Amino acid sequence: MTAPRAAIVLTLALAMARPRELVAQTARDLVTQGVRAYRALEYDAAVALLRRSLAEGALGTLSTAERAQALTYLGATELFRGRRDSASLAFADVVLLDPRYRPDELIFPPQVTNLFQQVRQATKTVSLTVPPVTELRARGDRFTARLFTSSLADVAVTLTRDDGTPVRELYSGPVADSLAVTWDGSGADGTPVATGRYALRVAPRTPGGDVPPARQVTLDIEQRAADTLPWPTAPTSPALLPEQTQAGPAMRSLAAGVAAAAAVIILPSVVARGSGGNDARFAVGAAIGIAGVVGFIAQRPGRPLAANIRANAPQRDAWTKRLDAVKAENATRRAAVHMVIRAGSIETADRGGRP
Amino acid sequence: MLAFAPVARAQDRPTMALRGDAAAVWLSQETAPGVVNRWRGPALAGEARVNYGPFAIGASLLEGRLDALGGAASRRDLVEGRVLVAARALPWLEVSLGPLVRAYVTDSTTERWVVWQGRARIDAPILTNRLASYIEGWRAFSSQVTLPPLSAGRVQGGEAGMVYRPPRGGSLWLRLAYRVDNALLGAGSETAEAVTFSVGIGR
Repeated sequence: MTAPRAAIVLTLALAMARPRELVAQTARDLVTQGVRAYRALEYDAAVALLRRSLAEGALGTLSTAERAQALTYLGATELFRGRRDSASLAFADVVLLDPRYRPDELIFPPQVTNLFQQVRQATKTVSLTVPPVTELRARGDRFTARLFTSSLADVAVTLTRDDGTPVRELYSGPVADSLAVTWDGSGADGTPVATGRYALRVAPRTPGGDVPPARQVTLDIEQRAADTLPWPTAPTSPALLPEQTQAGPAMRSLAAGVAAAAAVIILPSVVARGSGGNDARFAVGAAIGIAGVVGFIAQRPGRPLAANIRANAPQRDAWTKRLDAVKAENATRRAAVHMVIRAGSIETADRGGRP
Repeated sequence: MLAFAPVARAQDRPTMALRGDAAAVWLSQETAPGVVNRWRGPALAGEARVNYGPFAIGASLLEGRLDALGGAASRRDLVEGRVLVAARALPWLEVSLGPLVRAYVTDSTTERWVVWQGRARIDAPILTNRLASYIEGWRAFSSQVTLPPLSAGRVQGGEAGMVYRPPRGGSLWLRLAYRVDNALLGAGSETAEAVTFSVGIGR
């Protein structure tokens, strides 16, 4: 990239980034100036500055805490200007923004905090916070959603599939201030839910009155296969003694007998050519040959070797115990939930559950 | 190391083996082409052997009486002595060396053989530690005969048999064997055969 072109790109980037920074800086400055005007009892100026800051802050440049601070000062200013309704509306916005927010009693006088409290009681809202990523690795692990209400509210917390099909109701009942709703990853039947996209919905149920909006968060749930242990290697020779007679010893016995018998028979013709040899040698040869056959039969292949089987028993038992332990551990791991839950952003849902 | 020391000393200690034989002996002597004299008779023998590790020395003595089977030959007494030095080169192979003196004694004459022979013996188990077969061959590298006084020609022989150690017999063992040896004497030859049943003790 040439130097002139790089300079152009840098200039454009700065030009694109600068307005947002300037707006954020301006919104915060306006809040600061509004607070300063409020403290100087210049309420008209304070209202103008704070409303401007909130208008600027609507672009998302102010944090929730900064917006709540600006709204609180706006409500207090309006109250001191004698505009109680405007003050109530500002406080209601604070409550909707963050049900847990409380004005600092060291800063604001009781008439402000009392009005805020009244508005808070009258404004039904609920907020929801969830961890961005939760991993359930064992049976005891839980996904936790925290609910906050501005005042006593009856809520229902349900888990549904992405298409709205109910999966499980996690909580139904009153919430005075806050509540931690936990979920073990299982559906109504007690088994872990399948991989997929789900929605966790918190629906306030205020009887016969103003029903605040529901809150909903999308949960991308992924089931992961459990890592199982490999089976221990079965003991084999040479660690184990042979438990059956092999063909080798039997064949060697037979060969030893037959070779010696054959030697007896052919020795005269080898040693003393021309001599026929005495026939008595055939009896000797037959006896040795029979001994070889007996040796073969006694060590015939496949015959169980009881002594070796007994000697191998401790090793086999130990292996069986290790195998059983691994099987049990694997069964436990397979039964355990291993689930990753990724939460989306919190959204306000309509009464049908759609954000 | 200390634990192995007594074992090593026990293995190094010389051991002795004794053997007694009862044999049926057949002797045929071809003095000229087509002229064969035959004898047959029982014999008793004994052998003592001292083993020291893979080495052994031993001596044996055999005595028998051979009756002529027809013809003009007369009865003979057979006396045979042997001294050997042996070494077990491999667990299954033993080689030995030594003189063998054999005498055929008649009422009037004594035919004496002095043979220096080398032997090789192969042992093969049939049932481990209980029953084994063996094949042995030997050949003379020096031989002399007093009657007629000349050096014999080729002298060689062989033996095959089996050894049985009874399960509760301690170091007792039994042996059944057949052996044959042959010597060339001028235009003739002499062949001796024996079927031997032995009882031994020691290893």
